[in-house]
Amino acid sequence: MRLYEYEGKGIFKKGGIPVPWGSVVESAEEARRVASEIGKEVAIKAQILTGRRGKAGGIQFAKIPDEAANVAQGIFGMELEGYKVNSLLIEEKLDITNELYMGITIDAENGVPVAMVSAEGGMEIEEVAKRNPEKIVSMLVNPLYGMRTYEAINLVRQIGLEGRALTSASRILSQLYNVFVANDARITEINPLVRTNEGKMFAADSRCEIDDNSLFKHPGLKDLRIQRIGNPWERKGVEGGVNYVDMEGNIAVMANGAGLTMSLLDMIKTDGGSPVCFLDTGGGLSEERMRNAVSLLLKKTKTDQCIKVILVMVRMMISPPDAVAQGILEAIEEVKVKTPVVVVMRGRAPYEKRARELLGNSAVSLCSSVEEGIGKAIEIAKA
Amino acid sequence: MAIFVDKHTNVLVQGITGKFGALQTELMLNCGTKIVAGVTPGKGGQTQFNIPVYDSVQEAVNKHRVDASVIYVPAPFVQEAAFEAMDAEIKFMVIITDWVPLHSEMKIKAYSKCRDTRYIGPNTPGIMVPGQTNLGMISPSAVRPGVVAVVSRSGTLTDEVSAHLSEQGIGQSVVIGLGGDPIIGSRMIDILKLLKKDEQTKGIVIVGEIGGTMEEEAAEYIKAEFDKPVIAFVAGRTAPRGKVMGHAGAIIMGERGTAESKINALELAGVTIAKSLWEIPLLAKKVV
Repeated sequence: MRLYEYEGKGIFKKGGIPVPWGSVVESAEEARRVASEIGKEVAIKAQILTGRRGKAGGIQFAKIPDEAANVAQGIFGMELEGYKVNSLLIEEKLDITNELYMGITIDAENGVPVAMVSAEGGMEIEEVAKRNPEKIVSMLVNPLYGMRTYEAINLVRQIGLEGRALTSASRILSQLYNVFVANDARITEINPLVRTNEGKMFAADSRCEIDDNSLFKHPGLKDLRIQRIGNPWERKGVEGGVNYVDMEGNIAVMANGAGLTMSLLDMIKTDGGSPVCFLDTGGGLSEERMRNAVSLLLKKTKTDQCIKVILVMVRMMISPPDAVAQGILEAIEEVKVKTPVVVVMRGRAPYEKRARELLGNSAVSLCSSVEEGIGKAIEIAKA
Repeated sequence: MAIFVDKHTNVLVQGITGKFGALQTELMLNCGTKIVAGVTPGKGGQTQFNIPVYDSVQEAVNKHRVDASVIYVPAPFVQEAAFEAMDAEIKFMVIITDWVPLHSEMKIKAYSKCRDTRYIGPNTPGIMVPGQTNLGMISPSAVRPGVVAVVSRSGTLTDEVSAHLSEQGIGQSVVIGLGGDPIIGSRMIDILKLLKKDEQTKGIVIVGEIGGTMEEEAAEYIKAEFDKPVIAFVAGRTAPRGKVMGHAGAIIMGERGTAESKINALELAGVTIAKSLWEIPLLAKKVV
């Protein structure tokens, strides 16, 4: 789950990392009030869950509170990279001498956190990574011991910092690592980390992503994550415990397990079909999850006339056949639509046999192989 | 022994009395898996399908020879369960549980190196040696004994690929699900290194998917020093591009991780690419 800039800065501040003075607002009037409290030139920053807002006009400056209100009004009306702007962060404008980069993320290959710093921070850090990879230095951290103080100093020294800049930056790096651990993050990143004329350092931006598997430790965030999913079908999917993704075509695809679902999409495309959306329920299925998943797709076909057929594939390794079959039948009973449903039931031999008994005389067309199921779905879609 | 386990492997089940653990234990017993003990704190002294249950792993290993542990405990407790098994000197683990926190996964991996423990998972369907033993949930009807190793990142797709092979008469030396998470105990390259030395295995089917760099890493190894025939199926060729992992992620990943990158790397290493599930057994027949 990605956090907004202001939320990231909130956890930075709690972790001791200096952030500019400011607060988040939801109206131009509030923007005026915060700007006058700050009492100097302010930065007005759109809070959206994407980078590159600067170039699109999502970051502007204002010298006096009236100007802040006007600028805020303008940004509230914008749509940046497909996101509507609902909140702004109003902050003191800093007098910057240079911009650094600092980030902690996970190196999956080694299975450990990796810390990265660069003297060339700012928007173009990915360009730096491509063109001058030597300008970004990194180190792997042992997750059992955490980041040692001397490790942070040794890393930061490599980008040429010395004296007070060295100690401030390495302290912030250690704090950033602690924030990474305390919040179960996948990424904590400061870009840019700015140095002011007075030699102080501030996190001028934040990029934080929390591990979705750890949200049980952060119950407040768990609810927020669902609320923030823009696509209503995707949101309904997550509420029902499944992953839903929109595409463009006419075959709705559902399967249990991400690998299986993706491979169905690939094979449908290879054979000339066109998936309109896919839904991955995860490997193990209960009657309830199965019903939720099928009824979501059936409801989708009511609103989307393009959908010609629904292809459902279940590989029953541990999912009980009675639950799976009942889930399908109940969903069809509940959502009355005429869209044909092609079902492929595979798995443990006794499970397959039982599922066939239960679905054999129903409204679904039951197939015994993946190839047959895909063929049938494409045939119906093209008819 | 093919790799990791065989019919002589004595197995412990952590979380044996849970709803999921109990169901799985029964299915494993039906496959002939030698389950010698189970652990659920607070349920010591009870039995499950006539298997003694202990309060701790240490207690179980004091009473039984344990070669491997299968972990079914809920995600929030997986880190403790894995550390407990490693501290009790168990040298192979299968962590079935999914939704395990990434920070737990990092700690388990780091500690396994200190304890010299091998494991597969988390979020894996397990490992099965057809006709011998099954540590996990792979369907017995999907497999048959043979000479092809199936090495997969997926769960249900692993089962489906094995079934496609078996239905065409191609048996497996071992079917192994590596786990669908970013940080797993054994990566593709680790398994290939073991299979290289395994006499029973004459060919390998790799089932990859988009994301991460395991297939690229495996391809480099295959190109450099792997001499058995390899067939690969990579899922996600047509999947819409997922969320970008931010600057830090992009810097690490570079251009790797896409289906094209994986398929190109594997083809360059001499691996045959299957475009559909039903193509896999046809290609396998040609090489073994």
